[in-house]
Amino acid sequence: MKQQTLVKIKSRINNWGKGKADVQDAQVEISRGRSLAKKILMSEYFVLYLTILYLLVLTPIIPRLWHPMNIQNVLSNMWPLLVVAIGQTFVLILAGIDLSQTSVMAMSSVVGAVVMTSSVDPVLFTKSPLWGIFLTDQGGLMGSSPLALPAGILAMLLVGLIIGFLNGFSVAIFRMPPFIVTLVSMMLFSAMAIFLTKSENIRHLPEAYLQISKTQFSVVSMSMVIAIVLAIVAHITLNRTLFGKRLYAVGINTTASEISGVPARRTIITAYMVSGLCASIAAILYSSRLEMGRPTLGSTLFIDIVGANIIGGVSLSGGKGKVTWTIFGVFFFIILANSLNMLNLSFYVIDMVKGSVILVAALLDVARSRIQKAQN
Amino acid sequence: MRKGIVVLFILCLLVPSAIFAAGAQESDQVTIAFCFQDLETEFWVAGHKAITETLRENGIKVIEKNANEDANRQLEQVKDVITQGVDGVIIIPQDGESAVTIAKTCNEAGVPIGVFNRPPSDKSAKNLVVVANNEVIAEAAVEHMAQEAMKLGRKVHPAIMVGDLGDPNAVGRRQGFMNVIEKYPDLWAYEPVEIPTKWDANVALANLQSAMQANPDIDFLFTSSDFLFPVIKSVLAPLGKWTTIDDPNHVILAGLDGDVTAAQLLEEGYIDATGVQNLFYEADLMIDAMLEAINAGNGTPDKWMDDPGFALTQANLDTRAEEMWGWVLYKERQ
Repeated sequence: MKQQTLVKIKSRINNWGKGKADVQDAQVEISRGRSLAKKILMSEYFVLYLTILYLLVLTPIIPRLWHPMNIQNVLSNMWPLLVVAIGQTFVLILAGIDLSQTSVMAMSSVVGAVVMTSSVDPVLFTKSPLWGIFLTDQGGLMGSSPLALPAGILAMLLVGLIIGFLNGFSVAIFRMPPFIVTLVSMMLFSAMAIFLTKSENIRHLPEAYLQISKTQFSVVSMSMVIAIVLAIVAHITLNRTLFGKRLYAVGINTTASEISGVPARRTIITAYMVSGLCASIAAILYSSRLEMGRPTLGSTLFIDIVGANIIGGVSLSGGKGKVTWTIFGVFFFIILANSLNMLNLSFYVIDMVKGSVILVAALLDVARSRIQKAQN
Repeated sequence: MRKGIVVLFILCLLVPSAIFAAGAQESDQVTIAFCFQDLETEFWVAGHKAITETLRENGIKVIEKNANEDANRQLEQVKDVITQGVDGVIIIPQDGESAVTIAKTCNEAGVPIGVFNRPPSDKSAKNLVVVANNEVIAEAAVEHMAQEAMKLGRKVHPAIMVGDLGDPNAVGRRQGFMNVIEKYPDLWAYEPVEIPTKWDANVALANLQSAMQANPDIDFLFTSSDFLFPVIKSVLAPLGKWTTIDDPNHVILAGLDGDVTAAQLLEEGYIDATGVQNLFYEADLMIDAMLEAINAGNGTPDKWMDDPGFALTQANLDTRAEEMWGWVLYKERQ
């Protein structure tokens, strides 16, 4: 009897030991799982993994997602958004924001079209303040000239640079909040674009200009080349140049960077000019695709631009952001919009889903920052 | 870890392709995408209902897309539905210019496209277009207004609430108004006042208020769309000018569309006339032409179809009211 009791006790002790080991194993597993989750969450490629997962989940539901024509649609929607989003990345790294990018697009497309158009309808434009000076029965300022295309594109880029300079100057020199500066500039230049054209679209742009969005060599389009070249230049600028390093420094702490000798004002002005320039390049891609200069071009795009950046992981608090993240963010955003369209959901549902995704991305940004702080 | 990512990526590319190949069987049901810019007025809501219901009654699958007044988004939506393999596309475009670009995209894909009630700004693309003869309809409505003005035995001060002139409908309506202005040069005390609306109620309200302050004697007002009657009422009522046709302070009023509000105001005697677009007829014309093109395998049909329309006035209200779509809906609601 005593022996039986002893065996039972021994067995309990053994089992208790095993149980303890099991618990320890489980704890190790959980900790490994948590650390993997943390690793994935903190990974630079988090959004890319998410996109791949999203595509895998959706593929059985939407087989046409991988149709060559749909891939072409996704890509053609992606390039102009990527271009304008890269410009926004520069400003976000500064802990700023550029709300005026949409108005830069509208103004650029109007100014470019005014320079390039080969004919306009007098019925529509006689009340425009541009009529008789920049617009006539014979078309735009350089409508019949072979230089219309380069002059038009140059004018568009100048518009972006000038508006960007005005924004940057106000933020850097007068120390005005970027939000209010770019909000006012958005209102001002959007209204100006509508005023100049009396809300009319300007068509009859040169064929060479329209080819910018149409030229296609297999899957490679002219828009793709422009966007990728811009992305590479922006990536090198941020990672390999002094300006890039200064941008991050100013974004993390403007005062500290100034004390350290960083020309913060010049850096801020340049970043806003880059943002304006990118918006005007995007205007070229969008307006050549729509075959017209539109005073309302891009008016609904702002949430897509900032949303793609936030989804990519570019921080609204500044000092954090990469061009590759923006590319992932734009890719995910475009795939999301495309797939929701392919699911034939209503417009309202699509916007609600997009909004929710941006909100989740912003929350993730906060979570990642906390984890990073804890690790440091 | 990196190897895992590469494997995942390759799987991501291969699996869907296999699934796509397996799921490539198409259904025999005809599918038509209906892409509209928005449904901000009664006319477009009724047009949307007429088209979608008629299509579904004919056993056709309808994919609906709302571009929320964004021409670029509408272009992307049309490209998406083409990818989905629709048999035809019907659009209400944001404006005449974007209609051309979108129609060209459909032409390239060999998918028939119909443009409903807002015609392309030129004929460079091939499309089915159903459009009301805006100039003739507006002229008929304004002619009735002029006849009423002549009964006053004095000159009147005319004004027109102009739509977005990027929309050929607005251009046609303005022209119909101007035709009558030119026809009776002795009837007008002043040049007509043109009040821009951009097809936007807020813009219309602000500009009408300004116009009435600058020209308080305006007593002959034509609105290019019936959806602006509530705006007109909100401006004229405080001035004591929102009155029935038998009141000496009455501003001679007419619009164009033939919507439910106009039907009610005609019955109550607040407005003199409205130009009527035969919405149900237009929907039938479009759907018949689209189905004909699909059945014939014609990917680029090119046909402009006119809705002659008419003016419903206080004079012919008893005999022709039932022909107005807004009247029918108004009576149904009652």
